[in-house]
Amino acid sequence: MMKNKISALMDGELFTDEANHIIEQLKSQSSAQQDWQIYHLIGDVLRQPEVITADVSKVVHERLQFEPLVVAPQRSMTEKARNIALSAAASLMAVVAVSWMAMQATPNKSPQLALQTSPLSRASFVLKPQVNAYLAAHQELSPSSDVQGGSAFIRTTIYSATEDVAP
Amino acid sequence: MRWLLYICFLASLNGYAEEQASSHDWLKTLAFAGHGTDFSGDFVYQHNSQVETFRISHIVASDSEYEKVISLDGPKQEIVRHHGRTWCYLNHKMVQVANQQGYAKFPSRLLANISDLKVLYRVQEVGKEQVAGYLTQVVLMQSIDNLRYSHKIWVHSDTGLLLKAAVLDDKNNVLEQYLFTQLKIGASADRAWLASAQADVKITPSVKTEALHDIKSGWVVDGLPPGFVKVQEIMRPMSKKHAPVIQMIYSDGFSAISVFIEPSDEDDDKDDLSSRGSVNLYQKVVGLHLYTVVGEVPARTVMQVLDSIRFKGN
Repeated sequence: MMKNKISALMDGELFTDEANHIIEQLKSQSSAQQDWQIYHLIGDVLRQPEVITADVSKVVHERLQFEPLVVAPQRSMTEKARNIALSAAASLMAVVAVSWMAMQATPNKSPQLALQTSPLSRASFVLKPQVNAYLAAHQELSPSSDVQGGSAFIRTTIYSATEDVAP
Repeated sequence: MRWLLYICFLASLNGYAEEQASSHDWLKTLAFAGHGTDFSGDFVYQHNSQVETFRISHIVASDSEYEKVISLDGPKQEIVRHHGRTWCYLNHKMVQVANQQGYAKFPSRLLANISDLKVLYRVQEVGKEQVAGYLTQVVLMQSIDNLRYSHKIWVHSDTGLLLKAAVLDDKNNVLEQYLFTQLKIGASADRAWLASAQADVKITPSVKTEALHDIKSGWVVDGLPPGFVKVQEIMRPMSKKHAPVIQMIYSDGFSAISVFIEPSDEDDDKDDLSSRGSVNLYQKVVGLHLYTVVGEVPARTVMQVLDSIRFKGN
């Protein structure tokens, strides 16, 4: 019953008061939220877009903490509803296929996503040589070198060596 | 000189320090051991999925410490440090690259506040492990907020040398770590290089650097994490810069944050965040100034600090 309502909501087939009621329930019931996500995933997979909306909220949240600014396109509900040509109440086959894909898409299981969230691979943020002068100046005066020993020393080493040599 | 003053100051504090919790002792043990012990060995440094290996020798000679670091992979790098000065070998010739002399020494103010560490980190001794064949005490310094990193350190039980160290983020992921794979301590440490380094240091003309005096720039930072105190505020020349740059450096006793302020170039609208291992750097043009914040703290911290920079006036 609930699942049909969610499906209908996504297809834009509910009246406003009914829609509000379902949205309230979506807010409170995690199982309903799961259905909501799965149905969107089904819709997305059936339409074969470039991006699949698996539950990446946690990953995105983590990434956001490292991002100065993220500009992401936002799809409005009406546009979304308009775009869904197929009913979200898809065939059992599709559900099975998509559930499997959803499992594959969780960060722990997908090598691709796991790689992206690994803190050791933030390659896009790696320091440019232009900032070496600041790093060297920081290391030079940082009292932390005394207690951090080797790591601080290595940083100094790298920066000193890559920094412009004094005449 | 820096370490000498530091040790003198510590020595005077020592009686008092013994009654403090173990956290203080660990840091002081490290600070002492790193300077006062002869050692040589190879260590691995891992950051951003890169691994680099280095060979380090540290000898306490009659005229203060000598330290030499050689890269064992990648482009050849050879660095000698002595008396706050750093040299780099280029084409078999020793060239001075940095000079710390004349700069302020380890700040007594910071030491006076070092008890704050107990408030900022939960310090636990979490067991004993071997590193490079030596028995170490493993100490976990867990940050109490997400504005600084946690540290796990492996301290040699006999000498207090830091044999392994890892920097952890708030999800306990390792951001960077270094560890000795091979190490000799004390009399067996390699000192064959010392005589030539001492000779090279003597004949290399010292770079004349202007003494950097403490200044009051009128700039203030309100968004520092709790426990960070100002260590220094100076005006310094920097390579490729026309004008001197204001540098303010803050520390919580374990990690440090530097704030640089300089006039921005015309048309510059820089807004960049970058990192290497545990170091994050955030640079942004605000009005007529370029702000740069760098430190061994999370990205959110350097951003928070930068966004709180303001000119208060003298």
